[in-house]
Amino acid sequence: MRKICGENIIVAEGIENVDFSKIISMNESSAYLWEHTQNSDFTVDDLCHLLLDEYEVDEKTAHADAEAVIDKWKEIGIIE
Amino acid sequence: MLRNDSQIATYVVDNATFLPEVVTLIAEGHTVTLPLRGHSMRPFLEDNRDKALLSEATDIREGDVVLAELSKGHFVLHRIVAIRFQNITLLGDGNLSKEYCLLDNVRAKAIGFYRKNSTKPDLTDGMKWRIYSWLWTHLFPIRRYLLFALYPHIPNRWKR
Repeated sequence: MRKICGENIIVAEGIENVDFSKIISMNESSAYLWEHTQNSDFTVDDLCHLLLDEYEVDEKTAHADAEAVIDKWKEIGIIE
Repeated sequence: MLRNDSQIATYVVDNATFLPEVVTLIAEGHTVTLPLRGHSMRPFLEDNRDKALLSEATDIREGDVVLAELSKGHFVLHRIVAIRFQNITLLGDGNLSKEYCLLDNVRAKAIGFYRKNSTKPDLTDGMKWRIYSWLWTHLFPIRRYLLFALYPHIPNRWKR
């Protein structure tokens, strides 16, 4: 993850190609989750806790959001 | 809280802001794929259609297509037509006028091009690029007429 022109952009680690014709940019909260889950396995509960730590939300909302973001990340293929 | 606003969008960022970031990525050892704008590398590369695959600026030679910073924040992706010591002469394939810079201003080298939405690049060490390059550079004496035949237009110098 790096900041390029004010956007949170995911760049693969190591020496790889960065394709600016299709980049993945994240908003503030998903960038926060991404930063704190990198290089580790995580569950919905982990994300849920991260959200509860950082934001003023109830557990139910956090859980739903955590599930939503994981679904999205799977859909776009940045996690397995 | 988490808005589901993920979408496919096109971000247009001006070159002076964006390309220095690209140069940084390349310096870190990444290669970079960049959508191309402009008509200056016609006929091979088309505005808004093709992409360039850029790598670090090593082993720069005549005939290479390079990303050069002509002046602060002013970048072009053009072909090198002459190298004299540190002095580089650039000429876009679709252009008639040359540009000049120093070897230090060459920020990256194109190693391939993705044309017409192809997923496989035409590499600059491949046969297709080399044949095209040889032909097009040798046709320079009649380039003015070829460009006009390919892309009929009213030349700027005739406009009032």
